[in-house]
Amino acid sequence: MDIINIKELKKDYPLGDTIVPALRGVDLTVAQGDFMSIIGPSGSGKTTLLNIIGCIDPATSGSVQVGGREITDLTDRQITEIRLNKIGFIFQTFNLIPVLDVLENIEFPLLLMKRSPAEARKRAEQLVEEVGLKDYAVHRPSELSGGQRQRVAIARALVTKPDIVLADEPTANLDSVTGASILELMKKMNELENTTFIFSTHDANVLKYACRIVKIKDGLIEKEPVAA
Amino acid sequence: MKLIATIAWRNILRHKGKSLVIGIILFTGAFLMTLGNGVISGMARGIEKNIIEGFMGDIALISTAQKSDNILLNLMGASIEPINTYKKIKPVLAAQPFIKSFLPVGKNLSMVLDERSDTPGFAYLIGVDFAEYRKMFPDNFTVIEGSYPAPGERALLFPDFARGEFYRYYNVWFVPEGGGAVKANLSKEALADADHLILSSSAVLLGMSSGINTTNDIRFPVRGVIKYRALNQIFGHFCLVDIEAYRDCLGYFTAADMAAQVPKEEKKLLGLEGGDLDSMFGEEAMVVADYKKAPKKIAAEKAVPSDTEDGTYNVVFIRLVPGAGYDAALEKLNRDLAAAGTGVKAVPWNKASGPIGGMAVIIKGALFVFVMLLFSVAIIIIVNTLSMAAMERASEIGMMRAIGAHKTFIAGMFLGETAILSAAFGGGGIIAGVIAVRVIPLLRITTANDMLQILYGGNYFNPLLSVTGILLTVLQLALVTVIAAVYPMRVATGITPLDAISRD
Ligand SMILES: Nc1ncnc2c1ncn2[C@@H]1O[C@H](COP(=O)(O)OP(=O)(O)O)[C@@H](O)[C@H]1O
Ligand SMILES: [Mg+2]
Repeated sequence: MDIINIKELKKDYPLGDTIVPALRGVDLTVAQGDFMSIIGPSGSGKTTLLNIIGCIDPATSGSVQVGGREITDLTDRQITEIRLNKIGFIFQTFNLIPVLDVLENIEFPLLLMKRSPAEARKRAEQLVEEVGLKDYAVHRPSELSGGQRQRVAIARALVTKPDIVLADEPTANLDSVTGASILELMKKMNELENTTFIFSTHDANVLKYACRIVKIKDGLIEKEPVAA
Repeated sequence: MKLIATIAWRNILRHKGKSLVIGIILFTGAFLMTLGNGVISGMARGIEKNIIEGFMGDIALISTAQKSDNILLNLMGASIEPINTYKKIKPVLAAQPFIKSFLPVGKNLSMVLDERSDTPGFAYLIGVDFAEYRKMFPDNFTVIEGSYPAPGERALLFPDFARGEFYRYYNVWFVPEGGGAVKANLSKEALADADHLILSSSAVLLGMSSGINTTNDIRFPVRGVIKYRALNQIFGHFCLVDIEAYRDCLGYFTAADMAAQVPKEEKKLLGLEGGDLDSMFGEEAMVVADYKKAPKKIAAEKAVPSDTEDGTYNVVFIRLVPGAGYDAALEKLNRDLAAAGTGVKAVPWNKASGPIGGMAVIIKGALFVFVMLLFSVAIIIIVNTLSMAAMERASEIGMMRAIGAHKTFIAGMFLGETAILSAAFGGGGIIAGVIAVRVIPLLRITTANDMLQILYGGNYFNPLLSVTGILLTVLQLALVTVIAAVYPMRVATGITPLDAISRD
């Protein structure tokens, strides 16, 4: 089953008097449970694509369906609900709320969903263990290393059991060893929770983990050689 | 809710410097607001006690011929026009359910003539039925020497303040008949000269009234010396005299005259439009002061009139029942008084008390402006600080929005932060203000300045806070909090998830 279905997606950014076409007609489908990597040179449109799928940037034209629902033309409230319920995010930086500790950060989306605090805490404790940060459960983000923060972000992204987890260059700020361990963790969680992962990266390690790689260049997806 | 509160609280601790700045502003603002409210309420009560309850009631009736509404202190203005229609006025007043009590009085300026001095002094006279006066204004002064005149007795109550002034300018120290100088009551100047005090226990008063051909100089026995409860520098100018003697002095018709059938033509003189007061001060007028020869003594044997209310008055003071609608009462009174052909009009106390009533309004206005200014400054600083905080936290807020926080959540976070600060510091400020309002009266801060006395609400600084006053301050604080949070909240909710994403 396709969790994402994109057709003729275009995105223009106004830049002064001119228009920068960031995406120029993207067609893409992503199957449930995929572990998909988007690669491409800088400025090719990776971030733009992920942002549109993640409902944080509106498309200029075309159609984007997430979990069977068209996401273009929704109100801010509806779109926020989709982000909360269907999508998990892992950003490069600024992933965590500084005043909350690790467990609180992980359970935060569940509390936004009005789940009971006890239930949220139980799920957060399960995830903090799965990402290997049990000993850091009550640490604040400022007391963690970059790699540890990304682990917390992964746990937080998965806590609501979303349809998809989006990660825009999650390893860009990490050294290669830590980056590899983060990718490894993502892969593990992809298998453990059967969650679809879409991430962009420059990391060469990616080939080892990704089951599907999509190349993007100048706002267009290059033909995929083989579907995995 | 708990989540928002937790985040808000921890953000306050995280940004201690900013929180403290806002906190101090809120504390100071709330403190000054509370104190300001206390002073305003104290002043309102002070005015009520001092002027309304103690001196002139809520409403004054004056002749429609009267040009100026100000009847309290009008040394250089025209004298107060006579009212000869009290018999018609009384039933109108008695029929109003909103009137608690009323008192007709004579009220005008008189010269105080003294054998030992060539320049006359001045005293304001209030001509009253002593017993009725006591009922209307039960405790606005105390008799510090001598005694309160018996009902119907013709006498003068001399105010302590005016006595000091007279001593300063004329070297005469008034004492009640049969009494001597009381050392404790001597003014500073009199005390310095205590051994050679020239005592006098009667005063010759010459009524000053425009529109009346002849006023009389009359020797009044000083029955008592009185001290007003407050505002002595203002009220202390007013001597209380018996109404019949007052009428004599002013050349008005006494009730006794009326009983003796006054000729019609002479009657016409009364109620005439006021002639100019200048004539009083003219050369000829001064010649009138040949009192030395034979000041008219009040004849003790003069027939006591059956009804003093037949004679002339100048003003009727009216107290309203508590809670009566003021403006409506004034309007109704004026309508009924006009309909009854009384020739008088009702004026509110603050107009009748002239500059004092006006001053009270100005002080109130100034305090209001001050509080508003305080509000605005506090709001501007808080808005600035919080908006900057919102912008500084753009990435964090954008990230929260991206992972599913609604705008309301972000708004709640900011409102929560402001509300906590406002509750803690503003609440502290209100408590400090309440304590100050409670403590200040205990310090018995006094002032000799009469205008300040009005602000003080009495003889000493006596701010006052009711529960409603405190609740009002809490409400004002809440309002400031909300207003101050609105703009920063808009800034914060305007932050989009895209702001969280750093692109390179
Ligand atoms: N807000 C923006 N305003 C103008 N141009 C933008 C904006 N965001 C992205 N672009 C442009 O769109 C193109 C795609 O950018 P992006 O999606 O960030 O690429 P990538 O993530 O692959 O490096 C680039 O040419 C970039 O300059
Ligand atoms: Mg990018």
